[in-house]
Formats: sequence, structure tokens, C-alpha cells
Amino acid sequence: MLGKLLKYELKATARIFFPLYGLIFLLAALNRLFWQINAEGLMIPRVIMMTVYIMLVVSVFIITLVVTIQRFYKNLLGDEGYLSFTLPVKTHSHIDAKMIITFLWSALSILVSIISIFILVADDQSLTQFSLMCGDIATVYHKLGLSAHLIALELIVVVILMFVSSILEIYAAIVVGNLAGRHKLLAGVGAYLGFGIIEQIIASLLIQGFGHQIMLYYDSFQLVQGAAAVVQPFEMTLLVLIVFSLFLCAAFYFFTHWMLNRKLNLE
Amino acid sequence: MSDSILECRSLVKYFPGCLALNSVNLSVPKGRIVGLLGPNGSGKSTLIKLANGLLTPSSGQILINGMEPGIETKKIVSYLPERTYLNDWMSVRTMIDFFGDFYQNFNKSKAYDMLQRLHINPVDRLKTMSKGTKEKVQLILVMSREAELYILDEPIGGVDPATRDYILDTIISNYSENATVLLSTHLITDVEKILDEVIFINMGNIVLTSTVDEIREKEGKSVDALFREVFKC
Repeated sequence: MLGKLLKYELKATARIFFPLYGLIFLLAALNRLFWQINAEGLMIPRVIMMTVYIMLVVSVFIITLVVTIQRFYKNLLGDEGYLSFTLPVKTHSHIDAKMIITFLWSALSILVSIISIFILVADDQSLTQFSLMCGDIATVYHKLGLSAHLIALELIVVVILMFVSSILEIYAAIVVGNLAGRHKLLAGVGAYLGFGIIEQIIASLLIQGFGHQIMLYYDSFQLVQGAAAVVQPFEMTLLVLIVFSLFLCAAFYFFTHWMLNRKLNLE
Repeated sequence: MSDSILECRSLVKYFPGCLALNSVNLSVPKGRIVGLLGPNGSGKSTLIKLANGLLTPSSGQILINGMEPGIETKKIVSYLPERTYLNDWMSVRTMIDFFGDFYQNFNKSKAYDMLQRLHINPVDRLKTMSKGTKEKVQLILVMSREAELYILDEPIGGVDPATRDYILDTIISNYSENATVLLSTHLITDVEKILDEVIFINMGNIVLTSTVDEIREKEGKSVDALFREVFKC
């Protein structure tokens, strides 16, 4: 059933994002064209084109956020919730479907923005520089050997988990906000800020509690020579970040699930 | 396995500052058309939401075909809520595909048949439709499922008398022998002729359960007259 939910979630959101992506590519191409043409009096159109392009790129991220909130709220807690929650589908699957599709669009929005910048500026010179940069990274990668793979993997996992946990944090804030009879939006924003504060408190308590051990751990590398002195503590730091964001993901996920199952009260 | 499709055992639901259902015991037999009748705020919608798993009981039990509300009961219950729950961005055709994808007992050709009779174009988007048309589409979707229990919350509340008759006809002609229809309404005269049984509910309590024939024989009254008597203000 998750597959079917994903299919309709994708359909519901694709009609917003695909035209937007198309427009971004179009404007990037137009901008490039305007800068390449050597003609008098093009300054004003150039500036306008550039402004529109930048606004579009900014708006694609705002829209990603708005769609994340709107899909979850409207489809599960609004009138559409009467249908969503009477489908023979587990509550888990609803959260999973929304989370996966939101993640997909966030990642695509970033990718589209990067590609559009390439469309805008890519020429022989910048491409050469880009490939040189890639070459440099590859050299470092080879020097570090096995731990480079580990760090790369850890970095990817950290980014994904932080992404997912911030999506789930929004969902958790929405279900809390929905408990409020009136001013649901305000309550939701309040809940979101509240979660942020709780996270900060937990993080600082942990750092305070284990401060001594942490100091000892990093100090122990002062005598180590070479790459290992940097690589090993870095790997460890990333691992701690992974564990922490995994904990956040789990907490927000199960909280949202519990609230939807037990405290659901559609209007 | 009992003969009842819906059973409540000391079912209690309270909301902060309000007791919506007060230890309700109820048994709805299979194969009947049952009216759930009561004034506004009597607990009708709460009972219906509990049966659909949209609320969880504060205490007691509600069983559909012997099971607590969950995936298995959602497969056999076809529910028409009092609000329009259709996804705005979809066309009627997409909505039909959606139902077909999720409900195995959904009969697509039946749905297209009914749409044609009501002159609704399947390619139309729901966004552009009037409220009444949306309600019709919703009823068609719900009645096109070959379900064991149809729960219809105020199915004729928002439509004109002519459509009302069509809807009631649709309900009677589209449910099979052993299926049960539970419908809530306060428009009793309109539905009286199709009901087999009635449940009167008030302030979270079941006031009366009876067959319509019994009411006519014993009390010598129509359901509507009895309702007015019981719920006299």
C-alpha cells in the first residue's frame, strides 16, 4: 500500500514542482542568452531577468517548505483526512509516504538550482576550474584511503538524517498545533520553536555531562602524527552526529505516529 | 461469530469538558437498513467516527464484524462523512482510480454507470464543481464499493428533494442482501420509508432501538411522530 500512497503523493506534488523547475531552467537559459548578446541598451532587461531568476530559485525552496506543511495538514488533518484515515492503510505508511516524497522534492530542488547555475555560468574556463577542483578532492580522497570512504559515507548519512529529522520535526509540530482549538498555525509555530529549545537543552546537557570525556578524547590525538590526527576525531564527531540525529528522527516519528493514532480528532 | 455487524460494549467517549457517548451498548444486525436518529450534538457523529477508527474510545469497545476498527474493518466499511473529503486537485476519473487502487471491493463500472446517469463528466476536475455535485460524486464513490457495512453520515443533508429521492434510491438499489446500511440523519420523513430499524440517540445515550414495523404496530405512529414525541423540547 505504501507504493500506492507514494504514487498519489507524487502526483499531487509533481504538478507544482515540474512547471517550477521548467521555469528555472528556462530563465537560467534566457539569462545566459542575454549576457552573451553584445548589444546596446540591454542592461535593464538583463537586471530584470536576473532578479526574476534569483526570485524563482528562492521561491522554489519556500514552496518546498509550504508544500511539506500543506500536504501533511490538508491531506491528513483537514477534510481530506476523512478519506486518508479510512483507507485500509497503516498510519505508518501515511507518514512514510509524505516523508519520502518531501525528501525527494527537497533534494531535487537543490539539484535543479545547482544545474541551473551551471546553465547560467558554465563555459570552458569555469568547467576547467570545476574539473580541477574535483581532481583536488580526488587526490585528498586517495591519500586518506579507506577512511575517506568512511567519512564520505558518514557525511551523506548525516545530511540525509538531518534532512529527515527536520521534516519529521515539522510534522510533529503540526500535530501538536492541531490540538489547539483555535490559532492552530500559531500553536504549530510555537510547538516547532519548543522542539528546537528541547533539542538545544538535550544537546547542551549531553555536552556538559560528557565534557570531560570529550576533552580527553580530543587531547589524546595531540601526540598522533599525520592524517590520523585529523581523520579519526572527525569520523567520531560525525558518528556522534549520526546517532543524535537518528535519535531525533525516531523521537519525532514515533511521537507523530502516536498522536495520529491516539489523538486524532478531525473537525 | 455473532450476527451483528456493529457492536458497542459499554462504549464511552469523552472530550475535554463534554461526555459525547455515555456507556453505549448497541448491536446492529446484518442485512438491515438502520437509521441512527437524534438531534444535533446527540453523539451520532462521534459514534460514526469511532466505528471508522477516526477516534479512539475512552473506554469500552466498538467492534465491526467482531474486530476492532483497523485495516481489516476499513476494507469492509464504506463511509460517507458529512463533509466533502475529495482531493481538490483530482478529476473524477483520478478519484475513481484512487478508490480502485485502495479498495479491492470497488466496482469501477458501477461508478461510471452512476456518473453517466447523473450527467457528471468524469474528466471534470473536482475543484470546479459545485458543493452539491461533489456530494453526489462522493456518494457514487461510496456506494460503488461492494462493502459489508455502509456508514452514511447525513447523506441527504445538503441536496434538493429531487436529488434526495435519487440518493435514497441509489442507496437501496446498490447494496447487496447481506450488507448493512447505517445512516444518520435528522430528515426523518424522507428516510422513513426505506428504514428497517431505528436507533434513537440523545445526549450520548441510546434512547430506543426498535424495528420500524414495531413502532407502527405498538405505538401506532410514524417514526417521525415518535421522534418528535421523544425529543420534544
